Amino acid sequence: MTAGSADAALDPRAVPRAPILVLGLGNLLLTDDAAGLHVEAALSAERGVSAQVEFVDGGTQGLSLLHYLSNRRAILVLDAVGLGAEPGSVHVLRGPAIDGLRVQRSTTAHEGNALELLATARLLGDVAEEIVVVGVEPARIATGIGLSPQVEAALPEAIERARAVLDSMLRR
Amino acid sequence: MAQRIVVDPVTRIEGHLRVEAMLDDSSHIHDAVSSGTMWRGLEVILQGRDPRDAWAFCERICGVCTTVHALASVRAVENSLGITVPRNADIIRNIMFLTQMVQDHVIHFYHLHALDWVDVVSALKANPGATAALAQKVSPSWPTATEGYFKDVAGTLSKFVASGQLGIFQNAYWGHPAYKLPPEANLMAVAHYLEALKWQKELVKIHTIFGGKNPHPNYLVGGVASAIALNGDNAINIERLTMVKGLISDAINIVENLYIPDLLAVASFYPEWTKIGGGLGNYMCYGDLPQNGIGDVAKFRFPRGVILNKNLSEVLPVDPADPAQIQEEISHSWYRYPGGKDALHPWDGVTEANYTGPKPPFKQLDENKAYSWLKAPRWKGQAMEVGPLARMLMGFASGRADYKEVVTAALGKLKVGPEALFSTLGRTAARGLESQLAVHWLMDEYDRLIANLKGGDSTTADTQFWDPATWKPESRGYGFTEAPRGALGHWVHIKDRKIANYQIVVPSTWNASPRDGKGQHGAYEAALIGTPVADPKRPVEILRTIHSFDPCLACASHVFGPDGEKLVEVKVR
Repeated sequence: MTAGSADAALDPRAVPRAPILVLGLGNLLLTDDAAGLHVEAALSAERGVSAQVEFVDGGTQGLSLLHYLSNRRAILVLDAVGLGAEPGSVHVLRGPAIDGLRVQRSTTAHEGNALELLATARLLGDVAEEIVVVGVEPARIATGIGLSPQVEAALPEAIERARAVLDSMLRR
Repeated sequence: MAQRIVVDPVTRIEGHLRVEAMLDDSSHIHDAVSSGTMWRGLEVILQGRDPRDAWAFCERICGVCTTVHALASVRAVENSLGITVPRNADIIRNIMFLTQMVQDHVIHFYHLHALDWVDVVSALKANPGATAALAQKVSPSWPTATEGYFKDVAGTLSKFVASGQLGIFQNAYWGHPAYKLPPEANLMAVAHYLEALKWQKELVKIHTIFGGKNPHPNYLVGGVASAIALNGDNAINIERLTMVKGLISDAINIVENLYIPDLLAVASFYPEWTKIGGGLGNYMCYGDLPQNGIGDVAKFRFPRGVILNKNLSEVLPVDPADPAQIQEEISHSWYRYPGGKDALHPWDGVTEANYTGPKPPFKQLDENKAYSWLKAPRWKGQAMEVGPLARMLMGFASGRADYKEVVTAALGKLKVGPEALFSTLGRTAARGLESQLAVHWLMDEYDRLIANLKGGDSTTADTQFWDPATWKPESRGYGFTEAPRGALGHWVHIKDRKIANYQIVVPSTWNASPRDGKGQHGAYEAALIGTPVADPKRPVEILRTIHSFDPCLACASHVFGPDGEKLVEVKVR
């Protein structure tokens, strides 16, 4: 790579990159939009620091998260996922299901989201073999801190499903 | 027949911005409406909280600019409490600020704006050998310019396009006759876009080093949360700082040898856009980049001031603390002020929603009534444009030699006069020229930091007023910065050690402002008037002008779904 030559060689304390990324996304100030961040925080707290998994609270950032995606074997994205299901439903999406979302989304002009981030990583040719999205169907997205009762009640299941995905990623 | 075009939303990034443009019989825009369609109301969340924590909430407002909101917030609280931060803190904040600005501007050009000028699909028709020849001419100092390289890029691109998932490229109007670049220039631009994407992943590491983490780096009321020990192991040491220097050198290389040559090359194909999109002609800056503390405004590298009616021979003073200067009006906004007032200074500002618009989804807004979730900020009753063009003009009109040098050089290369600056292309060029200044200032700030540290000063925070017991029972303050998109202000009222009121006026509130009580347009609205639109079904001209402002309506939701719009529940208080 031409640009960005300040790589690991310049950074004496660079540690090898964890092969698995757990990326929480959402806006903490928009109630259920932050569901993924709550799941990420819970998993991160129970796992602690490890060489295998890096946990990142990505907020609503876009391209500034790109470097977190690079050079990973597997990526687990935790987010609010609105598919028109019952609020609090937990969705686990893989490969084709995520691509399907992208196609549907192409009718709207909203960019700067996680889908775009994944597409950009793909364009750069640096995309993980395995990408899984675990998301919670939001009940309410409005300015405010904290989750709706439906999504709050769904958190244990969401954490459980995310934990299972992470464990299977670790076993590979 | 007159027509009304609706573009909703027009941002390629976070936020909800709706623009309606009215065409006359000759297909020119004769009037325009800019509306923020999402309620933010962050101010309400901050009431009653510890002012020392406000920055951490503010960082979450925006999907792009976390650091600028944190910076404005800590400055507001420090101003209120009478805290002066140590020199190292000012310098480190400047480094964080300039890093954000340079990264944001480069990404805006390649990722968010270039697609308005560059036809990605046409790039597939380019001859790689001819592209290499062009690239060597345009950016002679950029190493990757061989036929094989452009062949590879074309291959990657065609694979990406063939996958049917255009993703980031999906919302442009490919094949529109308004695209003027030959296929080779398009391919070169796409290749450089990929280079810029890879590079920006590295630059933001500066935020991680000084802010402890990224996104959402740590800030601190009273200074910065960066412990420095040049020869230590557990703090920011000389090895880390050397890495910062390397990243800055790379940024200089990208801006000087890639961004500026590409910008001038693309601009040269669109001379008509130096006459379109000028708009208000009023410009405002709070200024930033203190060289001698935040109180010494005259020493800012980004000067403060107002320019009225494109008059570059006069820079008027701005005082964010004067209740008669900056006010937010609500005559055309979905808000309510107490006592039927129509305009308030942010210290007295109120965030109380009063939605009177149509029930979404709706066909069109009525500009004679309230039509936006944005208030209408005004300086002495006048609408203002903020952002890179305002800053470049302010530096130029203030007689700063460094500004004059880069502006004059660019105008010379494009063979146009200073009047070309008052346009869509002028705005886009100003962003590049500002990056040129900023990236060298970034190295200057780095050198200042090293000199100060080597001089024996490693203080990074003043904690004298950290304890709320030392605070006055009541105080007010304001904090400001020049965010990539323009003047950003936070106003705080602290009472009994808690936030009694907090008001934020973001750059896009100025630029995307609705009309005010006198019927004066906001900056986007004014800039669109007079624009010719070739094909109302594919109004790329509207996108060019709006994107030239780098719009960002903060606090968008972030939900996967077939139709994100339906998920957004507008809560009216």
